[in-house]
Amino acid sequence: MSDERTIEADVGVVGAGPGGMAAAIKLAAAGLRVVVLDEGQRAGGQIFRQLPEGVRADGLIAEPPSHDHGHDLIEAFEQQKDVGTKLQVVHGATVWDAQPGRLWFEHAGASRLLRCTHIVLAAGAYDRCIPFPGWTLPGVMTAGALQVMVRGFGVVPGKRALVVGSGPLLLPTVTSLLGAGVEVVAALEASSRWRGARALPAVLLHAARRREAFWYLKQLSRARVKLSWGWTVFACEGDGRVQRAIIGKVDGRGRPKKGTERTIECDVVGAGFGLVPSIEIGLRLGVASQFVPDRGGHCLVVDREQRTNAEAVYAVGEVCGIGGADVASVEGEVAALSILQARTGATIPPAALSRAAAQRRAADAMLRAFGPLPGLHELARPDTVVCRCEDVTKLRAGEAASLHGGSMRAIKVGCRAGMGPCQARICGPSLQALATGDPGRVADLPIVQVPLKPVRSETILTAPD
Amino acid sequence: MSGRIAGMGDRELVEFQFEGEKVSAWAGDSIAMALWAAGQRDVRKSSSVGAPRGVLCNMGICYECLVVVDGETVRSCTTLVRPGMSVRRGGKQ
Repeated sequence: MSDERTIEADVGVVGAGPGGMAAAIKLAAAGLRVVVLDEGQRAGGQIFRQLPEGVRADGLIAEPPSHDHGHDLIEAFEQQKDVGTKLQVVHGATVWDAQPGRLWFEHAGASRLLRCTHIVLAAGAYDRCIPFPGWTLPGVMTAGALQVMVRGFGVVPGKRALVVGSGPLLLPTVTSLLGAGVEVVAALEASSRWRGARALPAVLLHAARRREAFWYLKQLSRARVKLSWGWTVFACEGDGRVQRAIIGKVDGRGRPKKGTERTIECDVVGAGFGLVPSIEIGLRLGVASQFVPDRGGHCLVVDREQRTNAEAVYAVGEVCGIGGADVASVEGEVAALSILQARTGATIPPAALSRAAAQRRAADAMLRAFGPLPGLHELARPDTVVCRCEDVTKLRAGEAASLHGGSMRAIKVGCRAGMGPCQARICGPSLQALATGDPGRVADLPIVQVPLKPVRSETILTAPD
Repeated sequence: MSGRIAGMGDRELVEFQFEGEKVSAWAGDSIAMALWAAGQRDVRKSSSVGAPRGVLCNMGICYECLVVVDGETVRSCTTLVRPGMSVRRGGKQ
């Protein structure tokens, strides 16, 4: 029994980033009815975030060469919508439950259901947070948050910004800030220069990545911003908002080195310690996962045709492990070809499969240099809040872990850490470190609960079926 | 308007209330970004100790920027401004 709150489609795609767009473009072009559910207000995802409708940046914020591909994708996606194909996009949609062939979502306060034959998961990723003293002060935020502020809304983050973290995403964070006219007082990469050098072959041997890297180096040197390797933030301080940061050196495992501290004045701090795949919808659908530290932790398992073990469920891009926009878009194409194969028997061109495999290999080779640094979890002191939703300190979470047996589940039961509305998306990595004593070790899976994200209780009670 | 990257052109103005004070925003702003551009960093009081909290992820993941709009708790980073809306700090009252 369906009502007007239910939509039907051949394929339901979760996410309108590069992976979701690439899949949807191909599927719609082949004549399938496709519905894309996206939590953002416009297509592009986090990486190709667009300004609000009607606002143009027109070169105000410099963009790296890779963004040309993003513009092309967005244009092709919008065109597919315009040419009267059966592609429909629902922006501002929060998926809160899933079953094979069904995606329940909240949109504009209403409870809705998408019924579809196939599901493509392209939900992307979010920033990995590492707690440190003062990280709860307003003005301290994720690197992704700064990107959204500048590229998504044209808002100036502050006057003096400190950028900290690890991995390639520190570079676009710096250039976005520069584009917004913010002074970048320091850019601190926690990995050592030696460890970072392991990424060099993967970057230098890959034409597009090499071009990208040189573009960033040019931007940084023009603004006289130096990337400092083996440094990170130790603490942030201020009265009701961040006013200064204590920075210092870390060793090869990310442990803070005593006696290296320096104080630096700043009114905004962007922290980007890598990304975590958004796998919750996949887990709810029964998709198998594997723990791959260099790819961001728990990832959905797919075969080379982007099929999961769950019937008619496909996964692409960051949910299968962090790899970036190029990986996501080729995997999105493969997922589309895979669905067409299942429906019509048309075989997937081997070139498409090898392109996807090559992009994944190149991304893996680069990200290997920026795997998790377990010592960074020593930045938090006993009285540092690790679970922001429930105000739980590191000390209390540690006690719960030792009392109830070292697992994230035990910590939740013991002290409520991870029970708040973020559902452990923010505190997960640090709770995992507390539970096992080693963030590189396989911890228990994140607990998947319904709703997958908090929604109005009315949405759940009145859900169509 | 201060707090905005210059040169992006003028947009339709939207006015709303935050904690009873008038805030001017641009159409298409999220509540969180309108408040940020207006210099307001502290949008929520943490649930048990009431410490000031602001934007953390800006993409609907962390629920740190919860505010109360006309009686309903929403994420200020994923909720767009509407003319005349009344916004209060979320979290501990």
